Parts: sequence; structure tokens; C-alpha cells
Amino acid sequence: MLKQIIRNLLSGKKTISISQEDIASARAALAGLEELKTEIDSIYSRSIRIRQVDAGSCNACEWECTALTNPVYDVQRFGIDFVASPRHADMLLVTGPVSRQMELALRKTYDATPDPKFVVACGDCAVNGGIYNSSYAVAGGVSKILPVDLVIPGCPPSPQQIITALLAFLKQQHR
Amino acid sequence: MNTQEIRILSSQTRLNEEYIEVAKDDFRLTCVNIFRKHNALLRLMFAADERAETGCFRIYAVFSVKDEDRFVIVNSALGTDCSYQSITPDIPAAHWYEREIKDMFGLMPIGHPSPGRLVLHESFPAGSHPLRKDWSISDSELKVWSEGVVENEPYNFMKVEGEGIFEIPVGPVHAGIIEPGHFRFSAIGETIFFLEAKLFYTHKGTEKLFEKIGFEKGVQLSERVSGTSSFAHSAAYCMAVERLCGAELPERALAIRTLALEMERLYNHIGDIGNMCAGTGLAVGYAKGALLKEELMQLNARVTGSRYLRGVNTLGGVKCDFLQKAEDINSTLDHITIGYKQMMDMLQQSVSHLERLETTGVLSKDIAKSLGVTGIAARASGLNDDMRADHPHLLYHALHFESNLMAKGDVYARMMARAADAECSISMIREILSMRFDSRLAADIHKVPAMQQALGYAESPRGSLFYWVRSDSEGRPLRVKLRSPSFCNWPAMPFAVHGNIVPDFPLCNKSFNLSYSGCDM
Repeated sequence: MLKQIIRNLLSGKKTISISQEDIASARAALAGLEELKTEIDSIYSRSIRIRQVDAGSCNACEWECTALTNPVYDVQRFGIDFVASPRHADMLLVTGPVSRQMELALRKTYDATPDPKFVVACGDCAVNGGIYNSSYAVAGGVSKILPVDLVIPGCPPSPQQIITALLAFLKQQHR
Repeated sequence: MNTQEIRILSSQTRLNEEYIEVAKDDFRLTCVNIFRKHNALLRLMFAADERAETGCFRIYAVFSVKDEDRFVIVNSALGTDCSYQSITPDIPAAHWYEREIKDMFGLMPIGHPSPGRLVLHESFPAGSHPLRKDWSISDSELKVWSEGVVENEPYNFMKVEGEGIFEIPVGPVHAGIIEPGHFRFSAIGETIFFLEAKLFYTHKGTEKLFEKIGFEKGVQLSERVSGTSSFAHSAAYCMAVERLCGAELPERALAIRTLALEMERLYNHIGDIGNMCAGTGLAVGYAKGALLKEELMQLNARVTGSRYLRGVNTLGGVKCDFLQKAEDINSTLDHITIGYKQMMDMLQQSVSHLERLETTGVLSKDIAKSLGVTGIAARASGLNDDMRADHPHLLYHALHFESNLMAKGDVYARMMARAADAECSISMIREILSMRFDSRLAADIHKVPAMQQALGYAESPRGSLFYWVRSDSEGRPLRVKLRSPSFCNWPAMPFAVHGNIVPDFPLCNKSFNLSYSGCDM
């Protein structure tokens, strides 16, 4: 393992560019991330803490949120992190169409999050129920249950799309 | 009683599916005979509301016969009393299926040792069964269900009592970015004496929705049943509908589906091995696994346009010809192979990591067999269960691969079963890319025939996956049954964690890596 750590330290490449195909857009995105960091620095004293709540998602959106913390996107370097308890959160990021059997748990999580707080509906299901919209077992979107401040469409939205949407939102809040 | 006394009302064979209809009173005995005499495996069990056509409900039990590519599907029409003899006392793997059928259809398994609710939680109205064709629910009932406060049918957790025993309730909202489920540990100090998992929080009424949206749109829905098995789900669903229609797929479509299944398996296994490092606090291993997985996800996006391989399948074949991108796939695999070897070498040399894995979360072969455990979890416990070998479909009959068996059934065995499987996937992907196929991508499917039924299946990254579809008199879906591997494996989890310490539970959980959404439907 020591060998691996030394190898990692010596190799120059720590993160890879977000899009390998389009270098220009990757540059723009990276510039965007720097901007995001400035926003977070000024609004939230250098950090924004997110509590992710799965309200009946298929788990694709969760994996994209997890990917945000991998060495490629590494959102922690910008002061964004996912926290274990709603008590520590500034923002609830909700995925899934809100299944009826998760509704109570979602409400309780919201109540447990201290004010001021933002609610993000992440993914098509969370936005309006998505393909599950007409099912008897779902409420059909987070806005049916909680006041939503930001929607991030996509099935699932890519890590890059999630970062971009958060940036636009935080900028808007700053104004 | 013996086999001669059972009167077979009708039997019908189509492809490798053999339907045997028996009277309701013979259902249990027929199932038990097949199970015992042919050493068969209960693959799935379900009911269908066929009252519009035949005036009754029907129950089905699908067995796969050992060492034969054959499914025996025992079925019986139920009378007006809506009950049947439970097969759970003889075939324990049936226990969840029978409870699910009771919830969704209101058909009573007489003699089931624990027939409480499974899918529907306490606040769902009593005596209401969503998969019945004449079912409806009022707004006020929906409100009560959503609020989740009223107990229409109580849920009784197993109570463990005695000196020094205390309960630890966890969830449904967990600390990490994972799916929701409620776990109740009865612990003695740090040691788990008993674990009860209350799941189905993500129940989305998927099977009912399949009936509503029609066969074609069902492809999109099947891709959204369980995120990281999107392709396996849509491949199995498409296969069921294609068999129903009698469609012959062009070889290129079969090859592309096989390729995508293996690409899906590879990113899952490598990611899962990395995640197991998160369970032991080995940050370097976790980061390495996540990095390799991300590289594979980006490859998926480049060749198919979707990180989760969505939008590739269509009824009759595939929409996207990514065999043409062989060069990109091969060169990415070269890179992945190097990184993957580094990761495995590092893990194998990391004593503190291995020490946590070995002898942790042991699932015995006997329990795995009696509960019908499938996939990686089964192979790690010494059960040779692999749909690719047992029921060769798509291109698997033409590919070279071995199902890698482990014996010990602990977390380490599950990691190594994944590692061996990942290497198999890499070699199969390369083998497919070296083959040549004609250019047709899909067969034409004009019309779905009326009142037909068929089975579709796949070996998903988590294990065997089934869809069963039946069309009604107008060629619309009368019933779509889906059975994800997690539905078989969740009941085994409490057995694997018994006697382990509570802090090892996340590690055990990650070693199984079960889907909640796929199980909850």
C-alpha cells in the first residue's frame, strides 16, 4: 500500500478533466468550478453542506451524487460536501418521485434540518415524478411535499450537470 | 402420495418453458415433487388476475431444472376462496413471494409460517390489493397511506428479550448516500444477535405501471427499475416481450446486448470492490475503485450516450450500434486492466483490510441454497448459480468463460468472486469485439399476439433477473412480473450478519450490494 501511496504522490495526475471529448467545454466547466468556490466562500463562509435523501429513486441519481465525491470531480475541494445528518445540512438534495412509503421520512428529514435551508429536486423523478408520475405509489415530485428551491432535470443528471446547476443557483442567491 | 396421483390438467411447451397446469389442491405437491426429485431451483413465483378471461386468479411457480436449460412453470387456477396451500414449509425460498402475492392480490397462502405484510406498509388500507384489475383507491386512503401514521394492519417486529439485549433502530434515511430501508438490530453488546430488515420504502407500483403504459414504453420503465442494473433489466424485459411475439433477433443485436451486459457488470464489480474499502476505512482503495468506475462510466457515455447504458435496447433489438466503437472500448480496457491489477495487488497486500474481510459476514451454503440466493452471493458461498451458464442466452453459448466458485461465503469470498467475474467480463468484452456480425440491428415487431405468455431473463451484476409477461385479448400487457436478484438475496442478509459486530454491518451490506429499488418494485 505504501508503494501505491508513493506512486500516487509522484504521478502528477490527480484528477482527470471532466470531459475528455471536448477540452474546451471541460475548461469552461473547470472555470465554472472556481467560480462556484468563490460563491460558496462568500455566501456560506467557505462551505455548503448537503444532506442527500433518496425518496424512492432507482439509485442512478444517488450514484451520480456519490461520483461528485470521487477523485475526478472531487467537489470537496470547493467546500461542498455530503453530510450524514440533516442537522448538519444547509441543503436537502432529494431524488426519486417521492414514494408514498417514504413521504413521512422525507417530511421528518426536512423538519430536522435547521433554517435557513434549501431544497433541491434532483433528477426527472424528483422534478415531476418522471416515468413514475402516474403510479398509485408515488406522490409525483418533491414539490408536492416540500417547497423546492432548485430543480435539476436529467435521468440521471450527470455529475457535471449537478455541479453546473448548483453554481447557477448559488449565484442567483448571492444577488 | 406420489406423482401418479397428480392429475395434469394441461401442459404446453414453448422454447425452454414448460407450463404444467394442475388443480389448486395439487399445486403444493407438484411443486414439492419437482423441487425434490429434479433438484430444481425456485426461480420466481407470482400471481396474475385472469378473471376477465378465465374467471379466476392464477398462481405460477417457475423452477429451473438442474443441469438442463429448461424452466418448469407450475400453475393453478384459484377458486372463489382466493387461497392455496403454501409451499414455504417445503420450499423456504417461496416465503417472500407468497407474502408479496398476498399483499398485491389478496391470495392467502394457507400454512405460511409468517404471512404478515411485506410490500405494503402499515398505513396502507386493509383488504386493498393493488394488482387486482378492479382495484381502486380513494384520495383519503392515499392520504392516510402517505402520512404513514395510522396502523391499518400492524407490523410486528420480532422482539428479542433477555438480559443485556438492546435494540438499535437504523433508517430508513441513512448516513451515507444510499437507498432507504429500516434495520432493527437486537444486539448483545456489540454483537448482532438478530437483524430484521423492513424494506419496500421505495415501492413505486412498478408492475401495475407496466400494465398501464403498454409494452413499448415498458422498455424505458424497465431501465429505471434499478439504476445500476438498467441494462440487465431492459435486456430481460425485451427478451420476454420478444419471445412473446416470436421475434428472432439478428446476431448483431444479440452481440451488442451481451457486450453491454458485460460492460455493466464490469463497472459494477470494480465499483463494488472499491466500495467495500469504504466499509473498512481504506480510503486509497475506495478512491482507486471510484476512479476506475468513473472511467468506465465515461466510456459508457461516449459509446452509447448514457452513463447507465440507457436508451440502447428497443423491442426487437438495439438502437445503438456501438460495436463500431471497438477501438475506444479496447483502449479504455487496456488502461482499466492496468489500474485494476494495481488495485487488486494493493488490496491483497493490505493486511488490515483483509483482516476485516476474512470470516466476516459468513453465509453458509445450506442457507444460501434453501433461500434461493443468487449471483455473486451464491457463488461466494459455493453455489454454482449463473444464468449465463445454466440457461445460455444472447451470445453466451459462443463465449468462453468460467463461473468462479468460492467456498467460504465470507466478505472476502464475495470480493474475490467479484474480482474473478470482472476479469471474465474483460475477456468476454474483448472476445465479442474480435467477432464479426452482419449489420442488422433489430427485428421488426408489428403486433403483440393476444393471450400469450413468455419468460425473459439475464444474469445481472447482482445475479439472476427475471421478467414474465402475459398479454391480454387485445395484445396489451395483462401482467408484467419482475423479479430482481435482490429480492432473493435480502432475506439472506440477517443470516450473514448474525454473530458479527454492529460496525461490520455496513461492510457486510456493501459486500452483498443489494438494490432496494429493484427489490421494492
